[in-house]
Amino acid sequence: MLEGKQNGQVFKLPKVILLATNITNVELEKAKAAGFADTVIMKPMRASMAAACLQQVLGIGKKRQAGKNMLNGSMALQGLLCGKKILVVDDNMVHQRVVAGALKKFEVAVECRESGKAALKLLQLPYCFDAYFMDIQMPEMNGFEATHPIRMMESKANKQMNGGMDEDSGRKGEWHVPILAMTADVIHATYDALNAGWMDVSKPFEEAKLYQVVAEFFKSTRSNCFT
Amino acid sequence: MDLVQLQRQFVDYRTSLYHEGFLDEQFTQLQELQDENNPDFVVEVVSLFFEDSERLLNELARALEQQSIDYKRIDAHVHQLKGSSSSIGAQRVQKVCIAFRNYCEEQNVEGCLKCLQQVRHEYSLVKTKLESLFQLEQQILTAGGSIPM
Repeated sequence: MLEGKQNGQVFKLPKVILLATNITNVELEKAKAAGFADTVIMKPMRASMAAACLQQVLGIGKKRQAGKNMLNGSMALQGLLCGKKILVVDDNMVHQRVVAGALKKFEVAVECRESGKAALKLLQLPYCFDAYFMDIQMPEMNGFEATHPIRMMESKANKQMNGGMDEDSGRKGEWHVPILAMTADVIHATYDALNAGWMDVSKPFEEAKLYQVVAEFFKSTRSNCFT
Repeated sequence: MDLVQLQRQFVDYRTSLYHEGFLDEQFTQLQELQDENNPDFVVEVVSLFFEDSERLLNELARALEQQSIDYKRIDAHVHQLKGSSSSIGAQRVQKVCIAFRNYCEEQNVEGCLKCLQQVRHEYSLVKTKLESLFQLEQQILTAGGSIPM
């Protein structure tokens, strides 16, 4: 992976996954409008949900439960996930442990922080994490406040890239980190509305579709590199 | 007791915990996360839950003894307890926390005290039961058997 090889011109696109214990309608709307949350995940984080999230944002295949019966293609996909770095931000130590345990199943390197403030210190460009799992509702700084700086950085980077065309895809590169918000107390109606994307995550992925997602992921990553 | 009997007892006991609402699906999730690379995962997370809960229950008792009760602070503690209990699937504890938070919102001290008593009770029940479950597991492993899924 591109770890440690940041030359200031190549930016990795991190995936931000927000965890929320509680989210009001106002916050949900704010999330939608600001493009913060594309997907919402119910807390507590279930192992199968961690798998599905990673599938969606990183386009990586999920391990079969016993780890024994893997789809043919999954081996290759497993290899891609190996060595990725994920930051978990949650002020609840027990939940943090569960999330870390779920992620470690994929042999990713997991780091944990208890607050948005502590996490922000690590969220500077160039990113050294491939994905962030973040609790929306933490006492000092909630998930939205912690991800706002990320959005600011991205929109700044996007402005700089404005007018530049990518040769490969023929379209402008655009920074937008998919965010998955986790929440325990969401009213179903709003939840569904916010989560049209999430409903896909809960369905089992087919291998062919997985390859497609992964291929697209890597393609879009390339197109986001500054040259 | 022979191995087969032990294993049967374990399965029956575990099933009863689900039926009586002490544990929910989330506990199953924890068990599924345990493997050769992470062989003590469940015990570790549950132990963390025990430590965290005991701390929170003490904080709650202290907070409710104050002359002037800080409901926001109490709510924050209950919120934590709700989060950690739901993370391990301790369903009955979680349910009391929900009621507890409602009383906090209403600033109802009687309600809060009642809930504190209830949540203490539910916590101590689930702790005892989980400890028994782990003990049974240990007995099976010592007898050279494997834990039935």
